[in-house]
Amino acid sequence: MHTGLKKEASYAEMLTRILQWAVLWVGLLVGWGQPVQAQLYNGKELVTASLISDVTTIQPGQKFRVGVLYRIEPGWHIYWKYSGDSGIPTKIEWQLPQGFKVGDLQWPLPMREKEPGDLEVFDYTSEVLLFADIEAPATLPAQPILLQAKTDWLVCQSLCVPGRAQLSLSLTGGGNTASASASTFQKYASFVPKQPANPIKIGFSRVGKGLVAVVDGVRNDATLDFFPIPPEDAVIGHVARDGNRLTIPIDTEVKPINRMEGVLVVGSGDTRQGYEINEKTLLTAIQPETGASSVGLVGILQMLGFAMIGGLILNVMPCVLPVISLKIFGFVSEAGTEPKKAFRLSMAFALGIIGCFAALAAIVVLLRTAGAQIGWGFQFQDYRFILVISCLVFAFALNLFGVFELSVSAQATQGLANLARGHGYGGAFFQGVFATVLATPCTAPFLGTASAFAFAQAGWVTFLVFLFIGFGMALPYLLLAVNPQWLRYLPKPGAWMLRLKQSMGFLLVGTLLWLMWILGQMRGVDAVVQLGGILLVIAILAWIKGSFWTPISSGRSRLLAIVAMVFVLLLATASYGFVTKPSQLVWRPFSKSTLDEALAAGKPVFIDFTADWCITCKTNERFAIDTPKVREEFLKRNVVALKADWTKGDPEITQILKQFGRAGVPMYLIYPSGTNETQPVLLPELITSQTVLDALNKT
Amino acid sequence: MIKTLLITCGLLALTAGLSFAETEVGKAAPNFSLPDTNGKTHSLADLKGKYVVLEWYQPDCPFVRKHYKSGNMQGLQKEYTAKGVTWLSIDSSAPGEEGNYPAGKLNEIAAQDGSSRTALLLDPAGDVGRLYGAKTTPDMYIIDPNGILVYKGAIDNKRSTDLADVKTATNYVKGTLDAVMAGKTAPTTATQPYGCSVKYASK
Repeated sequence: MHTGLKKEASYAEMLTRILQWAVLWVGLLVGWGQPVQAQLYNGKELVTASLISDVTTIQPGQKFRVGVLYRIEPGWHIYWKYSGDSGIPTKIEWQLPQGFKVGDLQWPLPMREKEPGDLEVFDYTSEVLLFADIEAPATLPAQPILLQAKTDWLVCQSLCVPGRAQLSLSLTGGGNTASASASTFQKYASFVPKQPANPIKIGFSRVGKGLVAVVDGVRNDATLDFFPIPPEDAVIGHVARDGNRLTIPIDTEVKPINRMEGVLVVGSGDTRQGYEINEKTLLTAIQPETGASSVGLVGILQMLGFAMIGGLILNVMPCVLPVISLKIFGFVSEAGTEPKKAFRLSMAFALGIIGCFAALAAIVVLLRTAGAQIGWGFQFQDYRFILVISCLVFAFALNLFGVFELSVSAQATQGLANLARGHGYGGAFFQGVFATVLATPCTAPFLGTASAFAFAQAGWVTFLVFLFIGFGMALPYLLLAVNPQWLRYLPKPGAWMLRLKQSMGFLLVGTLLWLMWILGQMRGVDAVVQLGGILLVIAILAWIKGSFWTPISSGRSRLLAIVAMVFVLLLATASYGFVTKPSQLVWRPFSKSTLDEALAAGKPVFIDFTADWCITCKTNERFAIDTPKVREEFLKRNVVALKADWTKGDPEITQILKQFGRAGVPMYLIYPSGTNETQPVLLPELITSQTVLDALNKT
Repeated sequence: MIKTLLITCGLLALTAGLSFAETEVGKAAPNFSLPDTNGKTHSLADLKGKYVVLEWYQPDCPFVRKHYKSGNMQGLQKEYTAKGVTWLSIDSSAPGEEGNYPAGKLNEIAAQDGSSRTALLLDPAGDVGRLYGAKTTPDMYIIDPNGILVYKGAIDNKRSTDLADVKTATNYVKGTLDAVMAGKTAPTTATQPYGCSVKYASK
């Protein structure tokens, strides 16, 4: 029993051994490190590929390198992992015994070369080693270990020849002994792009149809280049360099591209060094900057000046102005005989205001960073960003006009009110916070708009701008505490404040106009109309809120408001679907020749004389023509549907309309019999599906 | 805030300077006139009202061979010319470069391949190739009856010279034509073309 088991085990062992040897011998016959398929061109072998390793024996559990060495005929080239305008990346498929783990393929830095016709490729000439780290399993068999790789390449001169090879290499387990090829591995490993060294940074920003990469931390006179690795579904142009800026034109993108992986190349000739730019390096790299940072110091100072003036203006808003004199009197009486104390108190109050703005800036920067990490681009080049900003600006304008009011919830402010009740500098600080929060119903439209625009700015710009708005708002308190006499120069609160607030709404509407223009440039007139539709819905919702959901509204009124809002939203969604649903009929543009051609082919013809601005036409198309019944009948009878579009007043169409005694569209003609001889059937202006079907059946 | 607006305006002006020409999907395809291998001149302007496929072609390119040896290209040509599509292959190889053959030789190759294209146009100066920004052979362009470019790029998604890949690949030309001819929007509008570089004359 005992011996029997042992025998079985040794049989199994022997079988495995025989099998392994067989596999190895097949490998040897197929070619040990030699290409299977010689690629001959005019008697020359263009590429010789061989599988090599940096060790002769494999140590269990240790890493070693295996690579394919390509020797390339002079004048010919094979391609990098992004081949450029033409060519195909070289491919390697590893076939390793079980338990062996293979790392990413390492690509030494390629050359960027031009071909006639301004085509650009990334390639290797004369010789290259593409390799990977392999980790051996903890236990290795005693027999030779067979490593295999299948490789495909395209080798081009001015013409291209594809090649492939099935390669194998046999190694044994043992110590980690360097092979004769180890120096080759060392040489090519030094050409593989590195992680960016600390001072080197790259930041991407989207400018129109391209990316601009700004490189920081390299010598000013260093030669720079960027070898891109675009996403598979994108088409890009050629990278161009201007100082420390690199531009990457984007031809086609499926998802918006806001940064790009690739290799940053610094230096030229033998001393050039590649740095890998990928998801990881990008996160540690500088924040993507928008053009704002290139405005220069004067520009920034001007922007801060305006921010401060903006903050100052906030003081004349209805919720702020009446508070100022009260506060100042408070400080003065608390300070008593110490005039300097009044100033220090108002200082603490001002800090409270500025603190609020710093917090707001922090929120904006945080949201922006979080958004950028999940791939949201907060740029004016992104139409969705424009859409969101437009909606916000419009809602704020409505708020300023007084269509609806914003209110701060009582529970939220209770805690603050308690803190602000204290005396001394701490109390004054929280009074500043409290005053800012209480003022939000009046200041939110401005601050909200400023925040939205701040999303497109670099983080530190956002911070500075908000701090200066806060400073501007706090300025009157600081000045007045120094000299309370100046209170008499303060404008008296009154109805004029409300008018001023309302008139500010027009400023926002003007901003909206400008945003719409940008959107129109980007997405065309349809997008602007769609935005208009969204704004209409926002206006209705704001009106409902303002009329039926105020702090004094009853529960019933609020319920009514919710029901009405839901109804409006449903109606809006439904009408959007109705308006934008594409026609399911296959229309061909009308011309006399298409008509004659179709009739000559004996096909019945339906002609729809229509125009984009003609509501009757659109209604007929939607309810009478583009219906399942009509579509089915058209298909059955092989009807050719022609659309004569009169939107721009085509004279040929005008002529035909006149011929049938019509001054305009809609007009419908059917040639049922499919011959040119018979007169077409003229349908009335208002039609149903049945009218169309009856006319078709008249034959 | 006004300053912010002004800065953004400046950014936009920058944007305008950075827009890149070339043929764009969704815009009118640029007009051209070229002679075919039988001496007849074809002009895009005359083809209004018809779907037009432009196929950049160079008979010796292994990528082009892949699609002709497998019968893929001829199949597409046959299917869509039967549906009224005008299929124009364009050879932009410069004199002395690979794929620049006399018209007679090209007709011979077409006969051997059993091509069903409408015509093979000769563009040895490479002007039309450059006008369209054709980069590789094959590089495919699809134009709708209104003369609007609806697709440009690769013929399919298997970027190889392997004949076997034709069967499993997603064919973008077929996908686009089937969709737009049925009045739907194209599922893909542009892709990175793959193949040999177009053999333009060095200038």
